[in-house]
Amino acid sequence: MAATFFGEVVKAPCRAGTEEEEEDEEERRETPEDREVRRQLARKREVRLFRRQTKTSLEVALLEKYPCSKFIIAIGNNAVAFLSSFVMNSGVWEEVGCAKLWNEWCRTTDTTHLSPAEAFCVFYHLKSNPSRTQCPEQLGRQVRQMRCRAGEVFLCQCTCYVAEDQQYQWLEKVFGSCPRKNMQVTILTCRHVTDYKTSESTSSLHSPFLKALKTQNFKEPPCCSLLEQPNIAHDLPAAVLSYCQVWGIPAVLYLCYTDVMKLDLVTVEAFKPILSSRSWKGLVKNIPQSTEILKRLMTTNEIQSNIYT
Amino acid sequence: MASRYDRAITVFSPDGHLFQVEYAQEAVKKGSTAVGIRGTDIVVLGVEKKSVAKLQDERTVRKICALDDHVCMAFAGLTADARAVVNRARVECQSHKLTVEDPVTVEYITRFIAALKQKYTQSNGRRPFGISALIVGFDDDGIPRLYQTDPSGTYHAWKANAIGRSAKTVREFLEKNYTEDAIANDNEAVKLAIRALLEVVQSGGKNIQLAIIRRNQPLKMFSAKEIELQVTEIEKEKEEAEKKKSKKIA
Repeated sequence: MAATFFGEVVKAPCRAGTEEEEEDEEERRETPEDREVRRQLARKREVRLFRRQTKTSLEVALLEKYPCSKFIIAIGNNAVAFLSSFVMNSGVWEEVGCAKLWNEWCRTTDTTHLSPAEAFCVFYHLKSNPSRTQCPEQLGRQVRQMRCRAGEVFLCQCTCYVAEDQQYQWLEKVFGSCPRKNMQVTILTCRHVTDYKTSESTSSLHSPFLKALKTQNFKEPPCCSLLEQPNIAHDLPAAVLSYCQVWGIPAVLYLCYTDVMKLDLVTVEAFKPILSSRSWKGLVKNIPQSTEILKRLMTTNEIQSNIYT
Repeated sequence: MASRYDRAITVFSPDGHLFQVEYAQEAVKKGSTAVGIRGTDIVVLGVEKKSVAKLQDERTVRKICALDDHVCMAFAGLTADARAVVNRARVECQSHKLTVEDPVTVEYITRFIAALKQKYTQSNGRRPFGISALIVGFDDDGIPRLYQTDPSGTYHAWKANAIGRSAKTVREFLEKNYTEDAIANDNEAVKLAIRALLEVVQSGGKNIQLAIIRRNQPLKMFSAKEIELQVTEIEKEKEEAEKKKSKKIA
């Protein structure tokens, strides 16, 4: 305490530390109620994996239960629509798990019929290949048989936002505590073109365009140019890529810079160059059929907004 | 650096950017594509129709607006801003006619709209208009005109141009395909506009709206049937061109 010239007593800051500071510290110390609130908040923010069909929770990490050689993660509605149209349109895909999470920005949906416009995080694995009899020659050269064996491919479609404090939980629940190194991880996501740092003006950029970022152990040449500095990856894609780099898993992130973040045909088709990469050969499907599926997805999920015309 | 200089419209950044104006240009890209073509005896405006909600009256969702009998405009960007600009332009057209007893020239009304937009980039407490416009028409001298304005208030004359989402792709198509043959007659100019839009429009002809103005004739809006006929013709020509190509290779 100190007295001013005019006789008023004021609280003066003191580096030595006074009794009053101890009182303040007591006030700042957590009460049992604070601890309870913190515990409940942590419980609410837990990432849980469960099976939607049986509503049972999954105790084992997904990739430990379903080991695979290819793990493809689509994050964001455009990347999810790309996988739905070009990869999941043939073969039998079984839903093996679903991540349920809550944060201030999103809550995953519980509906059975999922659309890329909703927030969800669902995992699939390839249950069975289409047989030779199901792909007769009269369908033409455009139809290619899936050469991947059943169970080799694991997919994740994630349109929800995974907060920073939830990302490690998500990774542990999906990859497990000791992930296998003999699988290849591909991450697809989008970012707005205004986040792309370049010396050129953004109006001269030909968006949408793809950029790649890969881990040290990823030896295959990516199907587009690498992401230049000082651009960085963000959020869950960055977390997955960092995790793979630490554990020595070959992984590549394909980042599509677009000026339309909502579900958009042109943005989804910007991912098409990935279909020509070596590791995706067995996953290439009947492309005209894929385009039709994509158009149907667009029309069913178009959000009516009158702000822009 | 941008965050310190992008809040106020009237503040330049150290490297000379007016960020609010540049952000307004991003708003334009959120609107659907519009294309304008200046032919020899015709001007064409084609737009990608926005999909309308089930219970919405389709007639109230318009991207092509007549400013006067001989001038019309298509816009891309914020709907409400477009309505404000169109209303001011229409009043100006009539005011001009009453004052000087002559209809506006296309260049005059474009300059008016551009000046209005520029004023809003230099006033405190206001924000730029988030629209770009393609203004087409014929002057008294019978010459077809096409102008484009943007949120900064600049305007230029064009032979063909596109605005809105995927405008770059459409512009590149036009740069390759806008030739004297392509605009040789009115029908070819219309087809060029539709072909340019089909490069980026999802689900084909039913999402396209087209308007033309011919010399000494009022604005004509194409019906869905007429557009469908043009699209069928274009697809037939494409198939024939591909057949010829494959024969040549063989």
